[in-house]
Amino acid sequence: MSNNTKDFIVEQLKKQIESFKSDSKEQSFGQVIQVGDGIASVSGLSDVMMSEMLEFKTAEGSIFGVVLNLNEDSVGAIILGESSAIKEGDEVVATKRILEVPVGDNLVGRVVNPLGAAMDGKDEIKADKFYPVEKIAPGVITRQSVKEPVQTGIKAIDAMIPIGRGQRELIIGDRQIGKTAIAIDAIINQKGQNMKCIYVAIGQKESKVANIVAKLEEAGAMKFTTVVAAGASDPASLLYIAPYAGTAMAEYFLDKGEDVLVVYDDLSKHAVSYRELSLLLKRPPGREAYPGDVFYLHSRLLERSCKLNKDFGGGSITSLPIIETQAGDLAAYIPTNVISITDGQIFLEQELFSQGNRPAVSVGISVSRVGSAAQVKAMKKVAGKIKLEAAQYRELAAFAQFGSDLDDETKQKLERGKRLIEVFKQGQYAPVAVENQVLTYFAVSNGLMDDVPVDRINEFESTLAEYAGDNAKSTLESIAKTGQLEEADEKALEKVIKDCKDTLDYLIEKND
Amino acid sequence: MKASVKQYAQALFDLSQGKDEKEIAKVIKDFAKLLVEHNQVAKLDRIVSHFSLLWNRENSIVEAEIVSASELDKKVVRLLEEYVKEVSQAKDVNISSTEDKNILGGVVIKYGDNIFDASLRTRLNELKKDIKN
Repeated sequence: MSNNTKDFIVEQLKKQIESFKSDSKEQSFGQVIQVGDGIASVSGLSDVMMSEMLEFKTAEGSIFGVVLNLNEDSVGAIILGESSAIKEGDEVVATKRILEVPVGDNLVGRVVNPLGAAMDGKDEIKADKFYPVEKIAPGVITRQSVKEPVQTGIKAIDAMIPIGRGQRELIIGDRQIGKTAIAIDAIINQKGQNMKCIYVAIGQKESKVANIVAKLEEAGAMKFTTVVAAGASDPASLLYIAPYAGTAMAEYFLDKGEDVLVVYDDLSKHAVSYRELSLLLKRPPGREAYPGDVFYLHSRLLERSCKLNKDFGGGSITSLPIIETQAGDLAAYIPTNVISITDGQIFLEQELFSQGNRPAVSVGISVSRVGSAAQVKAMKKVAGKIKLEAAQYRELAAFAQFGSDLDDETKQKLERGKRLIEVFKQGQYAPVAVENQVLTYFAVSNGLMDDVPVDRINEFESTLAEYAGDNAKSTLESIAKTGQLEEADEKALEKVIKDCKDTLDYLIEKND
Repeated sequence: MKASVKQYAQALFDLSQGKDEKEIAKVIKDFAKLLVEHNQVAKLDRIVSHFSLLWNRENSIVEAEIVSASELDKKVVRLLEEYVKEVSQAKDVNISSTEDKNILGGVVIKYGDNIFDASLRTRLNELKKDIKN
């Protein structure tokens, strides 16, 4: 190191030390009376406020906590970190701040814990701003109805249960059924869609989070994604604040007028950690031992996802909360709570999964309360009847065994339905762009796939996509850009499909 | 019926109001007898500390603790006492001073529920945090 750089560094240090001003201020303090299980009871602190941040002064540095119980002569606080360093009698100081997390563009592409500390082994996050973890949701006047689509890249969802920017769509199903897979595919498909993504992992296995980060990295999605991870071995207090911290980070982008997609994986574990904290804080247990305000726990979280109108920036936060049910029981406490809060649900069924229909989306029970207002015009045109046709197929499927005794119309409906179900099947990490979806649905609903054998539908689909990519590129690009399906486009698509079929040899011959 | 620590302390406090020394001595003797009868002597420590709390609150006395790195001379202690009296608006202050070399310098004043940390160690920590950012 040359002398010049050394002098420069020394100069900088001197300047910084000189400009350092510190005032001793008066603070409220107390002493720990009891500590254990991630909770501390503190005496003193007579003028501390609810949800205020406390600083526990231990021999190894400061550990932070949040006040959750204000009792007559003690204060109950949850400890945000390892409680093993705190001893009875330790000093506790009130910081007069509410819990805040670092937010900013520096968080994009990083894996952090709920307090903003880096978990991916790279440098510490230098945040320009701090946002409060708890915030009151935007009011009615500041909002606007949901109009723009969030393209998840999953054919079944984008056609029949479309999600819009600013909507809350619940992903609900049993364990190991593909809930996280849907969320991850949705994140991967946001490439080039001008969306930032935040994946909040609550109580997940660290190995699962590592796999997800690796997959996102591979798909190039980490360029616009932040992962907030509170693993299964983290204290319940961190699991409790994780989704709120993720939302605070999303609100930074919302205030800048950008669109954000937030995935909460999963809120069942979040409710369980809140139950743990409440029971330790001696709050009375209610149904299923959950505390009385477990509805408020999720409602205040999900209400912060919104679409703001132009006067307030026009940004949006779309959330995909995930809930795990036990044995498909939708009537349990937490699932019913969250279903009533969200704007629709994607229900994944065990039966469909074992029959090989993956993603196992149950079209009948799944709902999107925003519906086609959140679809591009082209998609609305071709997929408008798909939901009805799928429902009719399900009704008729029981008669499929009477193959020879049915009239032609029923037979045709059955054949169409079978092909539709095949089209809904999709591989993992393979989201489909909206123009290709329009092409596929155009083919199916206009009967252009009726002569493709059912077991080769998926093969035909990919062949068609490739063929159209070469021969009808301009049409596809115009659909992608404008979202409209003009007469001319329809003719072009029809032509390219016919041409593609002419090159194939496995089509069913029609014997009339 | 078992009375709580707070109720005992409150009772003792109420009984000792407006009485002279001889009467208070009798009150205390009776009180001790009561505790023994009801098998509540184990609570004595807590009753005493809660009693001091009530007494201080009533008579506007504040307990303060001053921690310094080295011994402070009487003038400084008197100034600090005045400061504490002013800021907590108490009529009287009980000062207990301790020495703790770990704070490196300056002084830490604890009074009631508040702490005023003007120690050198804390300032150096703040400087460290400031430079890190």
